[in-house]
Amino acid sequence: MRRKIILIFNTALILATLLSVLPDKTSGSEYDCNNVVIVLDASGSMKNKMRGTSMKKMDAAKVAIQEVLKQVPVDTHIGLLVFSSSNLNEDWVYPLGPRDDAKLSKAISLPQAGGRTPLGAYIKKGVDRLLAERARQHGYGSYRLLIVTDGEAQDRDLVDRYVPEVVGRGITIDVVGVDMKTTHTLATMVHSYRRADDPASLKKAVAEVFAEVADTGSDIAGEDAFSQLAAIPDETAAAMLSALSISGNDPIGGKAGPGSPSKKTTFRKQSGKSKGIGTIVLLFFIMLIAVIIIWKVIAKR
Amino acid sequence: MTLVFLFSGIFPLAGKAEESFSKMVGPVKVGTVKQNSPLEVPFITWGGDMATFYANGGLTTQSGSIFSKKGLNINLVPGDDFVQQVRNYMEGKSPFLRGTFRMIGMASEAIGSNPRTKGVVILQMTWSAGDHMVVRKNIRTLDDLKGKTVVLQKGGPHVGMLDDILKTGQLKWEDIKVIWKDDLTGTPNSPAEIFRKDKNIDACFVISPDMIGLSGGLQSIGSGAEGTVKGARVLISTAELSRSIADVYVCRKDFYDANRKLVDKFVAGYLKGCEEVIDLKKQYEAKGSAKYMKLLKLTQDIYGKDVIPTLEEDAHGLLCDCTFVGYPGNVAFFTGKGSLHGFDAFQESALNLAVDRGYAGVRTGLFPSGLDYSSPAFIGYLTKTEMTKAERFKAEAVLEEIELLSAGGGLDDRTIISFTINFEPNQNTFSSLQYGAEYQRVVEMADKYGNAVFAIRGHSDPTKTLLNLVQAGLKKGVIKRSGTRGNYHYSFQGKPLSLANTTAVVDLVEDGQFDGASGINPRQTMQAALNLSRKRAGAVRDSIINYAQNKGLTLDKSQIQPVGAGIREPFIAKPKNMEEAKQNMRVEFRLIRVEAEAASNADFDF
Repeated sequence: MRRKIILIFNTALILATLLSVLPDKTSGSEYDCNNVVIVLDASGSMKNKMRGTSMKKMDAAKVAIQEVLKQVPVDTHIGLLVFSSSNLNEDWVYPLGPRDDAKLSKAISLPQAGGRTPLGAYIKKGVDRLLAERARQHGYGSYRLLIVTDGEAQDRDLVDRYVPEVVGRGITIDVVGVDMKTTHTLATMVHSYRRADDPASLKKAVAEVFAEVADTGSDIAGEDAFSQLAAIPDETAAAMLSALSISGNDPIGGKAGPGSPSKKTTFRKQSGKSKGIGTIVLLFFIMLIAVIIIWKVIAKR
Repeated sequence: MTLVFLFSGIFPLAGKAEESFSKMVGPVKVGTVKQNSPLEVPFITWGGDMATFYANGGLTTQSGSIFSKKGLNINLVPGDDFVQQVRNYMEGKSPFLRGTFRMIGMASEAIGSNPRTKGVVILQMTWSAGDHMVVRKNIRTLDDLKGKTVVLQKGGPHVGMLDDILKTGQLKWEDIKVIWKDDLTGTPNSPAEIFRKDKNIDACFVISPDMIGLSGGLQSIGSGAEGTVKGARVLISTAELSRSIADVYVCRKDFYDANRKLVDKFVAGYLKGCEEVIDLKKQYEAKGSAKYMKLLKLTQDIYGKDVIPTLEEDAHGLLCDCTFVGYPGNVAFFTGKGSLHGFDAFQESALNLAVDRGYAGVRTGLFPSGLDYSSPAFIGYLTKTEMTKAERFKAEAVLEEIELLSAGGGLDDRTIISFTINFEPNQNTFSSLQYGAEYQRVVEMADKYGNAVFAIRGHSDPTKTLLNLVQAGLKKGVIKRSGTRGNYHYSFQGKPLSLANTTAVVDLVEDGQFDGASGINPRQTMQAALNLSRKRAGAVRDSIINYAQNKGLTLDKSQIQPVGAGIREPFIAKPKNMEEAKQNMRVEFRLIRVEAEAASNADFDF
């Protein structure tokens, strides 16, 4: 029982820790906002009590989110997306935008656990909103999807399909399991999957992301970054970076996903272009031959 | 279409362009201005003079006109032959000179040779927006101008414009080869025609109709069809270099001292004319205006159909090629503090140009207007006297345009000039002590190029992102590493990582095979690099604004837009050491031409 109560508080701590590491706003403009969309599972199973406690999972999740909001920088834009609630008509309980603590607290308190677990569909919905915001902010800022859930999705195929694409688009996914099995699908696919009873792992989450190598040229392990990369051919390095740099803001699940034609780098586009020109030339010759044949037939008559 | 035949009669002597102006004027006996009514006032072929026509009601003052109501009686006379204008001015036929500030500067020694004819600049009419430098495709930015051949009209308004452009590029006149031509436009000997015929000429200075003929338009590139020159495009235009050509009236000192009230009336009447012409132009563009059409017809009648063949295109275009400065512009020009395009700054550059290029032997100063702009002659009589200046550009539209140009590779074609500053890893503060020279350059250029935007583009080094990407690939087993510290080798699918398998590796990066490695997220590092690059750009922008404030210089903040390029455009994609990495850590200043839609509309530019 005591362990499970600790688990609840740790859940809150995890959320708070993850989100409090959001980078400082870069220059105080509306284009630099940090954005977090919380996807809250309010499916029927969240009615159940945490194992070994008298507290319902749904209540534990709400406690955790409320705790988070005390830690998150005030200028972070927050969105709360709830699925399967039995008492709400709108799933965007708090649309992504500047936080208003009174309204946000009320929104968090509202959902009551209800139906199925369409996790994949709601990952898409939350991510699409983040991508739209990223387009508006011209790519600046940070974009995180925080999933608070207790179990396996009923649309697992969508989860399997969407999560790699979301990661490939540069959206960070954090998952906090509320009394969830450690073998959960998401555990192996997202940037951070935390169990509440694993506080040691939280320290990794708080490490600041440095954009550039330090003046010494060393990476985190102290090894010279330049010598580690020395054997990578220059052109290969440039092409890899170029490939990494391209990520569209179109909704996921469409043609703009990883590996899709619209997301290919310049490196690839060049080959695509020459193929396109080749096809046009081929079609032109076929048409030319056809015209000559028709002309000859007409001439014979 | 500016100054169509303005200087066609000037500097009639062939040969060296830079001749003493006094010699061109020849011996002149200084006389007294005998006749105040009607007062002879010169005009030239320029949109700004249309407000004079409007205020006067025609070449002679018409009953009910603005000048008539002020009690003036004016006879407007052609003044496109500037040398003759100066003779008339000195002999006393007219107390006024009409020209560009730099033209007046060229004549400063001649008119300043007698205390009675020293010049008082009494009125700034307009800035030019219709003069252009057209280049071939071998000149992408101003950095490419060194060693190139440029053709322009000798002694005309483009001399000062070229001087400004050379200063922008930190070049000297000796760095380019100049070919001087007598004519401005419309003859086989004009710069546009010489440029068209001679492929060895890299650039020319032309007015709007010629510019359209060569390139197809301000934002177009000549295709070679319909008379355009293949690859020709506008590198710099007064549409952006908006504080280069100032059109002014100058009054003789003796006449000014004896007739202050008349001068007040003339200036106030002209400014009133500007206000009404601006409103009529708006009405015309919105729903048509018979009164405006009447002005266009008057303009055509005065200049003739050979100069103004059509009303809607040529007469209206003439007006569109200039930007009125109005009352606020005159107050700012003559009394503004910290202005880099005010009277003092212009006088200095005009006299420097005159002396440096041999038009004058000594620097002979001009007087500023000295008018009391707070007097009832102006306040209460004029309606557009608001001195608060709105921001010139719409931030969102400018940012959107720069981001699109960056992504689409079109930024270079819009760049007038660029330069960079470098710094240390993860640095995001930028002292004006360290970068003061660059900041001063930005402030000066932003002022001179009032309709261009400075994109401050931050860049970050990609080494960390690349390292994370490789580490993620290793962790996920996509690539392998062998060897020992300091002597690693990488392989992919059993073969050494090389150009031969780069395409396959790139495919896997795009397909997300390097994503999801526990504890390593190269995309997050890349995002941090993008944010850092914008943070750098924003910090530099803030420092420049502080620098300008501390120096007491005016600066339109909307002209300076910070953007982040992240790791997209490294000088060296895979630096070998920290020195190379630091070359990537930079902030780049790009002065760029933006679409007109990015700018806010205003009646006056000042």
